[in-house]
Amino acid sequence: MTNIKILGVMIGTIAIYTWIANAIPQLESVVPEELSFSSDVSEAELVAAGAELYSGGAGCTTCHGLETRAPNLLTGYGGEGTIGTRCGTRVPGQDCKTYLHESLVNPMAYVVEGGFDPMVFQARVFSGAQIWALVAFLQDQGGVVTVTGADVAAAAEADAAAPAGGPMVASNDPLEIMRGNLCLGCHMLEGEGAELGPAFDGIGSRITTDRIRRSIIDPAAEIAEGFDHLAGSMPPNLADMLTARQLEVLVDFLAGQGG
Amino acid sequence: MLKRSRGRWFWMRASLPVAIVVAIGLIAIAMEPLAAQGYTPREYGDFPIIGSRAAIWIAAQLHLFFAAFVLGVPMFAVVAEAIGIFSSDDRYDKLAKEFTRLLLVSYSATAMWGAVLVFGLITLYPGLWGYLSEIFAPSMWVYVGIFFFESFTLYLYYYGWDRWKKGRAKWGHWGLGILLNLWGTAVMLIANSWLTYMMSPPAEVTPDTAPGMVQFWSAFANATWMPINIHRFIANIVFGGAIVGAYAAFRFLSAKTDEERAHYDWMGYIGNFIAISALIVLPFAGYWLGREIYEFNQQMGTTMMGGFMSWLWVVQAFLIAVLFLAGNYYLWIGMGRIPGAERFMPYTKWMLLVLLIGAAVWATPRNMIANRAEITAMGGQFHPFLGALGVMSAKNTAVNFMILTTFLSFLLYRRANKKAVVSWEKRGTTIQGALFVIAAAVVLFYGVYGYFVPNIVRIGFSVYQVLAVITAIVLVIVIDMLMMRGAKSRGEIRWGEMPERSQYALFILAVTFTWLMGLMGFARSGIRQHWHVFEVLRDTSVDAATPALGYASIVISVCVLIFLSMVSFIFWVGGLAEKPVISGVGGGATGSAPVARDQEI
Repeated sequence: MTNIKILGVMIGTIAIYTWIANAIPQLESVVPEELSFSSDVSEAELVAAGAELYSGGAGCTTCHGLETRAPNLLTGYGGEGTIGTRCGTRVPGQDCKTYLHESLVNPMAYVVEGGFDPMVFQARVFSGAQIWALVAFLQDQGGVVTVTGADVAAAAEADAAAPAGGPMVASNDPLEIMRGNLCLGCHMLEGEGAELGPAFDGIGSRITTDRIRRSIIDPAAEIAEGFDHLAGSMPPNLADMLTARQLEVLVDFLAGQGG
Repeated sequence: MLKRSRGRWFWMRASLPVAIVVAIGLIAIAMEPLAAQGYTPREYGDFPIIGSRAAIWIAAQLHLFFAAFVLGVPMFAVVAEAIGIFSSDDRYDKLAKEFTRLLLVSYSATAMWGAVLVFGLITLYPGLWGYLSEIFAPSMWVYVGIFFFESFTLYLYYYGWDRWKKGRAKWGHWGLGILLNLWGTAVMLIANSWLTYMMSPPAEVTPDTAPGMVQFWSAFANATWMPINIHRFIANIVFGGAIVGAYAAFRFLSAKTDEERAHYDWMGYIGNFIAISALIVLPFAGYWLGREIYEFNQQMGTTMMGGFMSWLWVVQAFLIAVLFLAGNYYLWIGMGRIPGAERFMPYTKWMLLVLLIGAAVWATPRNMIANRAEITAMGGQFHPFLGALGVMSAKNTAVNFMILTTFLSFLLYRRANKKAVVSWEKRGTTIQGALFVIAAAVVLFYGVYGYFVPNIVRIGFSVYQVLAVITAIVLVIVIDMLMMRGAKSRGEIRWGEMPERSQYALFILAVTFTWLMGLMGFARSGIRQHWHVFEVLRDTSVDAATPALGYASIVISVCVLIFLSMVSFIFWVGGLAEKPVISGVGGGATGSAPVARDQEI
């Protein structure tokens, strides 16, 4: 009898836990589907594509996480709810979709007050359709997705019509190059910029000229000590947005930043 | 006959790791000519009916359950033996030996499930296995080697117990116990590096990085390795204590004599003491691990706490509430067998109230995945009232109050039958009370203040709350030890005079710990989502999606049932071979032992 009681208590306890776990909402983490950026793209596909970009290639979570560098978009900020619920009220007269799109293509347009770092999103790196996918994902965080296949198709046409590549700035002045490419959005130089990545002050005395060049051409090749958590946040195609002269000017300038 | 039987078991156990190494070697040799013929190994295998994922899941979880037990028990076996040596109290030595006897019979089960896991990986996930073994091969060889040493150290430790019982030989024997713990910890550290690499590979490793190019040490000592090590180290102690407690409860309920009943009552108390004491520290290690996960990848952290796993934490809070309640309930019932404890009984209802409120706050979710209709019904992303209780300020406050309350239960239990003889008893008790009040005030202050500061500042407050609680606990214990030196007895503890229902609390503790361990294993592994190695090696199998909690709970329950069935069988078999070692506490024991002897732990 004692053994049956023991068995009953044990199986009963396990059964209660199993029942509770099955009684709550069941959420499965699905594998992201293959991305489609044609005009007949569905809302779910756009949101899934945006989610993948948000947590991956776009590097959004580097700053939009714990509200230390930027407002948390997924969990609500300042009691205003998630980004999807607050995006429509950020700028008077501007709807959520326009606000989010503008925030991405022109990152410094609407930096939230509160001592946050400058936004360093490199919209140029992404296609128009990818930007719309990000907008759709952000709208989906508590709001209604209004991005449509027509937006994606229009963006694709605009991308096709736009001239290919080219530098971000025409100047060969190192400071202009850095400002134009948003380098100072993460790196500090003589009081200008943000203390997110390693400072440019004294960089010439810390690493070699070759490594500076390699860090620009292939940022993931070697991560500065203590900055592992930011790996992947520096644009991998930065060098594609510089002319050969600009690259060398920048490397020489940084190598000259002694201690 | 017995000797022959022991010898056969000994060689069977000892030969298992060797068999695994030989089998892996033979497979590697067999594969070589095939590779030369242009053979390409398959990425995944199939397992009938339940599928490959469930098969590996069950094998890994059962291996971990047994591994946690055989790593946790030696820690307190060696401590109990040391208490026996230093206090010349033979009861602790006998207790340590009985702990080790449980360990011995569990060891082969650990190895068997380890073998099932390895062969499961080789046959069902050959691609992943090949990838990991290319990076970690040297550590795998070392792992098997240490496992071999660990086995032999354990056999020497157990079978040498009676031979090396006195004088310097006893110290040598105790040294074997320490060595056993060192081997066990080393094995755990190595295995943890493999699984944490899958969670948090180094930043320089990308999908294009060939496994042969991954630097061994950066893969080994990855971002979540040390937090997992610490968390598992503590959790193993909790788990070992809980299983020992359940074993003692089973023996208590089936005891034939008062002497046996007294012994297993005492053993159950010690198992519960160890489990709950370590449980008090575990949330702090958990917070560190969580923070490291956020630091490694914020999206991973968000997935864990606010994404598809958000409901999991509600279930976890419920389970932890059960642990605190069952642990305290066992202590409160136990006070019934302690003369003098009746003066503390009126306080238990208030402690129960604090525990219930704390559990309710801890179980309140903050940021759930909700559909639009639910968000509209709530009037926003957060519930207007309950949302405020879901933030870390409220949860940290709740858990710290629960910890303080549980510590108070232990303190009252410890002091129940003692009467201090020091002149400063009243002042000492007042200081102890003041320390409780100060700690509670600090916890409450930062809990409320946390609502008025940004998140990042609020997270930092948890450190102050933890420090206040830990400081109070340490100081109160020190004062209590000094104050109770040479204390008079209000009466001997009547070991064995425990209501049967108290023993069922020990079973609930063991089942809940085991289930919780399975749940947290799912959380840790599940946050990788559709990646074998997060953002490096994608899971392209049919089981790539991470299942919902309902399915996970069924697998966890199956694992817990298999584990508890096997443990029951193993303990029963172990009991057949040898008579239980009765320590001589209470019950049949006679004499007027100083009160402190009854409750040294």
